[in-house]
Amino acid sequence: MIYETSTLAVAVFAAFVGAVLALSFWLGARARSAGGYFAAHGQVGWFVNGIAFAGDYLSAASFLGICGMIAFFGYDGFLYSIGYLAGWIVALFVIAEPIKRLGKYTLADALDARFQSRGLKCVAAIATLVISLFYLIPQMVGAGALVKPLLGLPHWAGVAMVGVAVTAIVATAGMVSTTWVQFIKGTLLVIVCAFVVALLLDRGFALPTKPIPAGAVQTIQTTPSGVLVNGAPLAEDNELDTRLRAEHGVGFGSVAALPGGGVATGPLGPISYLETFAGSTVTTWRKSVDASTGTTTFTPVERQGADLLLPGANPTFKGVRDDRLAAKLDFLSLMLALFLGTASLPHILIRYYTVKDAAAARKSTVVGIGAIGAFYVLTLYLGIGAMTSGALDPTDSNMSAPLLARTFGDGLFAVISAVAFTTVLGTVSGLILAGAGAVAHDLMKDVLRMKLDDRGQVRAAKIASVALGLGAVVLGILFEKMNVTFLVGWAFNIAASANLPSLVMLLFWKRTTKQGIIAAMTVGLVGSLGWILGSADTLEKVFGMTAADAASSAIVPFSQPAIVTVPLGFLTLVVVSLLTERAGGATSQSPQANTAQA
Amino acid sequence: MRLVPRPRVNRLGLSLFALYCVGYAIFVLAAAFGTFEGGAAKGGLAGEAVAGLSWGVVGGFGLIIGAFVLAVLYALLARDAEGEK
Repeated sequence: MIYETSTLAVAVFAAFVGAVLALSFWLGARARSAGGYFAAHGQVGWFVNGIAFAGDYLSAASFLGICGMIAFFGYDGFLYSIGYLAGWIVALFVIAEPIKRLGKYTLADALDARFQSRGLKCVAAIATLVISLFYLIPQMVGAGALVKPLLGLPHWAGVAMVGVAVTAIVATAGMVSTTWVQFIKGTLLVIVCAFVVALLLDRGFALPTKPIPAGAVQTIQTTPSGVLVNGAPLAEDNELDTRLRAEHGVGFGSVAALPGGGVATGPLGPISYLETFAGSTVTTWRKSVDASTGTTTFTPVERQGADLLLPGANPTFKGVRDDRLAAKLDFLSLMLALFLGTASLPHILIRYYTVKDAAAARKSTVVGIGAIGAFYVLTLYLGIGAMTSGALDPTDSNMSAPLLARTFGDGLFAVISAVAFTTVLGTVSGLILAGAGAVAHDLMKDVLRMKLDDRGQVRAAKIASVALGLGAVVLGILFEKMNVTFLVGWAFNIAASANLPSLVMLLFWKRTTKQGIIAAMTVGLVGSLGWILGSADTLEKVFGMTAADAASSAIVPFSQPAIVTVPLGFLTLVVVSLLTERAGGATSQSPQANTAQA
Repeated sequence: MRLVPRPRVNRLGLSLFALYCVGYAIFVLAAAFGTFEGGAAKGGLAGEAVAGLSWGVVGGFGLIIGAFVLAVLYALLARDAEGEK
């Protein structure tokens, strides 16, 4: 679709991003040592850190991806909200306090605290880099999606803008500036989204001026001479939704019938909004692609709201509507990955090093759960609002939330787009910082044993952050067309498989050996990566195969690996630890031993 | 160096964790095995819970809000337990 840019939108956007960058440069003067650069001297207050957790965690996947998935498929997107939030329970009750006590700057510090093993540090650092890169891709894709309607720039320009801005943030002040960027972003995101939901509830639901019949198909065709929309050249007065708006007074995504037969509901409460939606008939759009002619066809399909509030409409979750157990494994595996992945994400775990003690780590997690939970409750309303406000771009689910905001005016669109862009900045800053720490502190200093003093480590981390930023830009351009939440699901699978078994067993099984951890991390990382690369989803969505070809060529029976690779990680750790313990390998200490020592 | 929290706090945390795990597992298993039969909704998350809302919506909100409630409870009880020391 072609988006009109507005001066107001550009001005608000520039002001937001400029303010964030200015703050970052100002704070840059405060962090010269490695302790300051990687962990903000451990002096961040628990409340600020808790909101910064929200700023770090509520990424483009949460904001753009989940809202987009709900807007396109209904309840399936909300399942991600539930799983993402549930993962914080693992972080709070199992990981938070020990990781604070064990680590210094990086995840590898914590895993290696009892062993001082170069091999273990190497594997942990590589796992951090791989997970961070997989998590970076959707953030960059989200940035590219945002600048198209806001600034009228192509996707690659948005990706490059984030790359430059984030590299500037991380390369100037590390964790200090990253923390405050995330704090501001977390606060703004929750407040602005709550405001949009309040407007949505006040507006309620309304029918189009004229019903959309089943035959009102819309087409977009890519030809050698240009793009055709409904048979005519794409232009500002002939966009994909132009004809729909002219004939029916509404774009893509609308209510076809309300319970009780009215034409508009007026203001609704939070419960009656969902109840009304459940009783409504909604016009959704089915997309079909004819590769031979380059034509994508969007066909209106009426569905009951109650059905859209059930899982199974999205391809990833369709197995829940199938009676075969094998078909349900993708769903079960993804929900397991979301539950276990949060507490295994390096960029989240390093935030525990920024507070002074374990009690502060615990309290900041509680604050984080409150802010993140509030946001995830809002996602269901935002997604349903986007689905029914006639403002969807059927070619790009990631734009659903900003386009919903646009239905309330350009000002709100500008604010929410700027907040979304800041969202990307905050999360990408954390990811690049985690990756830079893995390179400079773990690989260069501890594994390669390069002689780096405090300032040398910081300098190396800054150079690494520039390299990671460049890599993220390239990946963000390559993966343009994929839903960002789907991509983040992969990162959760890899994190849960590579890191969680080792983290848990290190804390709760005294016979864990360094060889066991190295083996478990390697198996989890390679196993989950290999599974994802060999899956039908990857073959179809990354390598461009047709769905049928991808299904027949896939070397694994389902696409989400966690249900296999997490237990495999635990099993590997136990077997290798038992074998190497007998061979005299060093073991970790039991919690009981730790208590006695204390 | 103590890794896990004090035994009483640790037990408390693991108990609350187990409680949440049960709730999450019930929800996920109900979605996977209890909601559809032959492709049509039969119950589970599709069933009406309260105020016209399905168990899917109520259960989802319950897991999100329940996580925060358990987190606050844990923080308060852990503070008290550590204060006793």
